[in-house]
Amino acid sequence: MFRSWRKTTAAVAAFVACVWSFQAHAGDAVAADPEVVEKNRKANEACFACHSEFGFKNPPRTDMDMKKLAETLYDPKVFAGSNHGTMDCRQCHGQGYNDYPHSETGKSETSPCSECHATKVARLEPQYDASVHARLESVKAKFTCATCHDPHIDLGATLLKDPLKIAVQDNKACLECHDSDEVFAKYAADDDKTPGIKKKRPNIDTIHEWLPNTKRHWQTVRCVECHTPEVKANRPLSHEILDKEKAEKNCLSCHSANSSLKTRLYRHLVKDEQDRLGFTNSIILSSSYVIGATRHPLLDKIVIGLVALTLGGVLLHGAIRIVFAIRRKGKKQ
Amino acid sequence: MSDRIYLLPLWIRLWHWTNALLIITLAVTGISLHFADPKLPLVEFALAARIHDIAGLALVALYVLFVIANIVTGNWWQYVPKPPGVLERCVKQGRWYMVGIFKGEPHPYRVSEEANFNAMQAIAYWVIMYVVMPVMLITGLLFLYPEFAPDRFFGFDGLLPVAILHYLTGAVIIMFMIAHIYLGTTGKTATSMFKTMFTGWYEQH
Ligand code: HEC
Ligand code: HEC
Ligand code: HEC
Ligand code: HEC
Ligand code: HEC
Ligand code: HEC
Ligand code: HEC
Repeated sequence: MFRSWRKTTAAVAAFVACVWSFQAHAGDAVAADPEVVEKNRKANEACFACHSEFGFKNPPRTDMDMKKLAETLYDPKVFAGSNHGTMDCRQCHGQGYNDYPHSETGKSETSPCSECHATKVARLEPQYDASVHARLESVKAKFTCATCHDPHIDLGATLLKDPLKIAVQDNKACLECHDSDEVFAKYAADDDKTPGIKKKRPNIDTIHEWLPNTKRHWQTVRCVECHTPEVKANRPLSHEILDKEKAEKNCLSCHSANSSLKTRLYRHLVKDEQDRLGFTNSIILSSSYVIGATRHPLLDKIVIGLVALTLGGVLLHGAIRIVFAIRRKGKKQ
Repeated sequence: MSDRIYLLPLWIRLWHWTNALLIITLAVTGISLHFADPKLPLVEFALAARIHDIAGLALVALYVLFVIANIVTGNWWQYVPKPPGVLERCVKQGRWYMVGIFKGEPHPYRVSEEANFNAMQAIAYWVIMYVVMPVMLITGLLFLYPEFAPDRFFGFDGLLPVAILHYLTGAVIIMFMIAHIYLGTTGKTATSMFKTMFTGWYEQH
């Protein structure tokens, strides 16, 4: 009784919202105006009436493919906090999704990233095309920008700020494939040696077994730190995923005072570096103690001084003992 | 002719030299890790990390054995400076290191089966083995298994206090080791105490 009542209300709400949003025009690409943001949020409620946990549990209709719906659920709060959270879903998805069942052509009408990010795509695409993932036609064909970037969830590094959260977000993209046989098989090409059989996914921790505590590294540092070419400070990371032979294996690239983390994971924070409490790379230390990188030069000097003093002390003591022993011998004679 | 006593049972000597070997290994690799710099290659970073982890775990195991053996054999009693007059004996011992040793005066206290260490030694060894070592080993384990370390520490990563304590206790042990090796030359002859550590037999002055 209660359930069906809720269903009806949800359906009515969805219908009202759908009609309302249909009248509203999709906003501009740069949606910063609070009024537009609010309008878009309201419009999106129509989609979330189905495409959210709530919508799935309280489906407004009974004639839906629930299995498919289950794979297309988003959290309205997460979406609102993402890069595109202020936008109307239909700015990317077109008008084909206003009604259910959705129009057949809906999928092909999804705006490509380049529609709004033309300059960025122009910069990224050549790097992306040089990647290992574009090396094989069959793999490349299945790879899109959205394979790594979920446009409904991700938040750019400068807004996300916390390096540990950035690491989780960016590594999730790679690990979704490289840590799952099922997903990897969907993309992998046939093995060179055994045509007809897909290339087997190498275990991610076994490949990197030369790296101590791999799990800890995956939480605190990104795959792209080692798997993309070096770039100048203040420049965005390259989108070229290098061949495994060219990947960074030198621990000191991160574990030294002049850590490359400053131009990579911590790039957006280095301008705030203040050497807090006298630590070098204190901005890194706020998130991670990185052996060799997050040092205290004064403390190091004091410790080296004390060790040197101990060494000097015993050498001096020894020298005096020898001098006295020689004098005593001389006296005896 | 010479006045010899059998001072150190085999297990103590085995423990001592294993301990020494592990500590030297840990010191060299530890320095390589802490002062990691492309211009200053002591032991290569990845190799140093690997050796340091293995030697560190071995030292933890050895330390546990050491504590158990000390309890079982009653050897722990050696580390307790016996009152009365601990302070006076320390002062006398200190004066001997600073003055008496140069004049060729005899050691102020005789070594015996009952008392291997002078009061100053007992205190120093006690502090090193039962205060500094546990702190170093526990922080080392936390470093190896950082999921057990605190998450945050006054706006810094929770590993910071762990790392600093590990670094400082490591430095104290290196300083102790330097002094300890040097004081090993103050026996009857410069090498007699080292011989004791191998044979177990102690030469009285
Ligand atoms: C009444 C429920 C409902 C509403 C409202 C709804 N959808 Fe859907 N949508 C579904 C279901 C169910 C699917 C699963 C695939 C199918 O059955 O077409 C789906 C699939 C999709 C897909 C994937 C299409 C594909 O071809 O793989 C997109 C994109 C989508 N919806 C976008 C939207 C947008 C944008 C809105 C809001 C304007 C919206 N939907 C509103 C139920 C709904
Ligand atoms: C910035 C553009 C953009 C916005 C805004 C956007 N989407 Fe999408 N959406 C995409 C792209 C691109 C895909 C295709 C992803 C892929 O190919 O895996 C997609 C896929 C989907 C799918 C299908 C998911 C699947 O796994 O098949 C659904 C459902 C969907 N979007 C719903 C929404 C809803 C609801 C909103 C608004 C709350 C929204 N989208 C806002 C770009 C966008
Ligand atoms: C309909 C326009 C539109 C489309 C299509 C679109 N975006 Fe965006 N995107 C925006 C807007 C608006 C912003 C927020 C303003 C900004 O930072 O540029 C944004 C921000 C971003 C950001 C964060 C900004 C940064 O540089 O870090 C990323 C990353 C991003 N989009 C990726 C994508 C990807 C990947 C796609 C394709 C799947 C895509 N976008 C498609 C409009 C769009
Ligand atoms: C293999 C996974 C992968 C693919 C495919 C991918 N990206 Fe990225 N992208 C990343 C990662 C990881 C970052 C974060 C790097 C950083 O912090 O600068 C990123 C950052 C970005 C940024 C923000 C930083 C910048 O360079 O401006 C934009 C915008 C972006 N990608 C757009 C795209 C577009 C457009 C495509 C498709 C042509 C694409 N990406 C394909 C992984 C990928
Ligand atoms: C959608 C699945 C998918 C995602 C996401 C993905 N990869 Fe891959 N990756 C593959 C497949 C499939 C191959 C095998 C390509 C081949 O056979 O050459 C591969 C190969 C590689 C290789 C091996 C290249 C070589 O020399 O053999 C590296 C390195 C790599 N990926 C790194 C990354 C990184 C870093 C990310 C995240 C930024 C990432 N991948 C994201 C599927 C993925
Ligand atoms: C510390 C640097 C570093 C990090 C971080 C790192 N890698 Fe690697 N990765 C390497 C190196 C170096 C190789 C080459 C290994 C070799 O040849 O022994 C490699 C190899 C690979 C390969 C090739 C496997 C094969 O043999 O075909 C894949 C795939 C890969 N990494 C994915 C990832 C993913 C995904 C992540 C993030 C979870 C990641 N890597 C993080 C340095 C790194
Ligand atoms: C891409 C940067 C990067 C590279 C390359 C890298 N590391 Fe790390 N490493 C980190 C970061 C960041 C942490 C801090 C993790 C934390 O917060 O606990 C770390 C932590 C560690 C730790 C301490 C882990 C623990 O248990 O607490 C060890 C040991 C270590 N790295 C060894 C190595 C070795 C050996 C190599 C080379 C084979 C290497 N790392 C290469 C970034 C890197």
